[in-house]
Amino acid sequence: MASRDPLLPNAGIIARREYRDRVRGPLYLASTVILMGIALLVALAPIGIRYLDRGTVTRIAVVSSDRELAQRAVAVADSLLNVAPSGVDPATWQKPFRVEAAGGKDTAGAALARGELAGVMLVERLPTGQLDVVFRTDGPPDGVRSQLVGFAAVATGILDWTAGLPASAQLDPFQTPAFRVESINTPTDAGGRPLDPQQTASREFLGVVFVVLLFMSIIIYGMWVATGVAAEKSSRVMELMISAASPRQMLTGKVLGIGAAGLTQYLAISVPALIVLEFQDRIAEAVLGPGWSEGAPLVGLTPMLLAGYGAFFLLGFGLFALIYAAMGSFVSRPDDLQTLSLPLSLLAIVGYLAAILALSGGGGTWVRLASFVPPFSPFVMLARVMVTAVPPWELALSIGLLAAAIAIVTVVATRMYAAGVLLYGQRPGVRAFIAAARRAG
Amino acid sequence: MSLQIDHVTKRYGATLALDALTFDVPRGGVFGFLGANGAGKTTTMRICLGIIAADAGEIRWEGAPVAELPRRTWGYLPEERGLYPRMGVLDQLVYFASLYGEAPHVARREALAWLDRFQIPEYAGKRAEELSKGNQQKVQFIAAILHKPQVLLMDEPFTGLDPINLVILREAFTELRDQGRTLIFSTHQMEAAEALCESVAIIDRGRLVAGGRLRDLKRASGRRWIRIALEGFQPAPAWLAEIAGVERVRRDAAGAELVLEAGAEPGAILNVILARGGSVSHFEVIDPSLEALFIELVGRPADDDAGTLGTAARPVAPARDAA
Repeated sequence: MASRDPLLPNAGIIARREYRDRVRGPLYLASTVILMGIALLVALAPIGIRYLDRGTVTRIAVVSSDRELAQRAVAVADSLLNVAPSGVDPATWQKPFRVEAAGGKDTAGAALARGELAGVMLVERLPTGQLDVVFRTDGPPDGVRSQLVGFAAVATGILDWTAGLPASAQLDPFQTPAFRVESINTPTDAGGRPLDPQQTASREFLGVVFVVLLFMSIIIYGMWVATGVAAEKSSRVMELMISAASPRQMLTGKVLGIGAAGLTQYLAISVPALIVLEFQDRIAEAVLGPGWSEGAPLVGLTPMLLAGYGAFFLLGFGLFALIYAAMGSFVSRPDDLQTLSLPLSLLAIVGYLAAILALSGGGGTWVRLASFVPPFSPFVMLARVMVTAVPPWELALSIGLLAAAIAIVTVVATRMYAAGVLLYGQRPGVRAFIAAARRAG
Repeated sequence: MSLQIDHVTKRYGATLALDALTFDVPRGGVFGFLGANGAGKTTTMRICLGIIAADAGEIRWEGAPVAELPRRTWGYLPEERGLYPRMGVLDQLVYFASLYGEAPHVARREALAWLDRFQIPEYAGKRAEELSKGNQQKVQFIAAILHKPQVLLMDEPFTGLDPINLVILREAFTELRDQGRTLIFSTHQMEAAEALCESVAIIDRGRLVAGGRLRDLKRASGRRWIRIALEGFQPAPAWLAEIAGVERVRRDAAGAELVLEAGAEPGAILNVILARGGSVSHFEVIDPSLEALFIELVGRPADDDAGTLGTAARPVAPARDAA
């Protein structure tokens, strides 16, 4: 009856009512304010941690039976670990690491065990003349600090070797070589150039944030849609609605209205947090003083990426919300939704996990495949776009398949909704779904 | 004839809900759609509204298939009462009228007038959940008529109303009928149907049992009815049923109704009663009541669920011998 029941204006009228009904509710307002506060706290957390950590000095001891060697190692490690940020007055800047020579291995080991030291660097010269450096630490073996100490070991070795050269040797001053990593799978900027490490790190961070937000939005706001439909059935107002509007109008209006309410809350929560993240460096400098910035977390974010995220958010939410609405029409009470929604939540979880795998660079072919297959594609393709260079045709294919899936699901969900809203007092089950899906065919 | 139900058949799985149901509803009157629970009344109304599709047959209004008509042709008061609990009364009246295409400012004005008419103007700004069931029912009725539908379908509209609200609703029926609208309602309450309906359709197990003008149906009964009251007998004596020519006796507080066998003469029955010493204070040859007519045609009262289909989605219950 599409000609008898055009989508508008009724879908719009229903969407407006659903939107107002939700955003005017005290629970909505309270949850929005609370979540906004939590998001702001999370965004400000790195500054807070740095603030609390600003007076902390990490002690590292160097132990060597060769006093001269120990002094060289202290000097090198100190210069590598304590690099003053640009714009900071070195005279007033407090070094975060204190590297000092220790008397004996056992004493330093005991101090490490007591937590008084964060690491002990054992430096000895072997009979062959080669240096043997061991770094004992309470941190992870592949942490940044361990890597820096590794650099210090190499530099100490070079200094030690040059110290043995004859005084007549004509050498230019030692220059640290420039070093960078270029991955062929690194995302590129608009000009096709690989992103720098800071931008790449920002993309990985944002990828996790976006995928988590998408997952949470789909689960939470999808359940809003399902609960809204079930509540209409349980209050029996559905009996009035089905004579006033077509199932297509009701389904579309509900998804649009509740989706818009969800999007409003989503923006209210995320925009202030994003603003804080964007200006995190400036806030850090204002609170902690110059030299405390560690790079803006949003440096990798571009308008195109934001648009891509918006597209996958809307398409992904639309797809899941339609299924949630059809599902909500099959229960007589909102309480029954928990059980029925589990399979749908599992689908979202699979997409989420595949996306996390994609963000860490794993998964290979099947992750690439999942980035084209709805309902996983909103998560996985979003993750791929954030951390790798995705060819435009792959992106277009993924969005096209997602749009086609939404068109098909709209037809099937409308039929299921039309059948489901008239079923009262029956236990929801696979049979009911299959019967409705058959009628849809 | 304006609304034509033409050989409409509907199955729910193995259950035959409507079996080639056929009857006509005249335009501009009050029409009673009578049957026990599960007889197929709600299913018929839902097919009229296009909520569900018939397996066979067609329903036409003014010659046009109902599927081709705009939704605002119809107003619907469902049997299951429900409003948005947290939404204001006036807001939801305007909302429903808007869905039917009514301009919001017109709907608002009309809604306020009807709330006033139904003696609940103070509830306009209140949430629906704050209203009593009876008042919620009145709000639902307003929601069904606010867009001025040509045909108003009502499923058990009098259920749950107190006597005062019953009178208010009946007056509204009359007013809408006088405006030329067609009112169709289902009910168990035969007194209400008898008081309001010019025509009725009586259905049982998805089939039409009888239909047409109420007066004609009563006259076509072929049996004669006597209303009698005897002094000194409260209730009426049991021996009335033993009189030759009396088929059935319905006793009530005021006396009794005697259903005579075909060919039995009221005068002869009166003579027998007088001969048995009965002091007759009231004797009247009457048309059968709608309730009596229903029982005669269907074999059981309308509020007797035996032999019904149950709700539309449930399988049919085994039929009980109506005799």
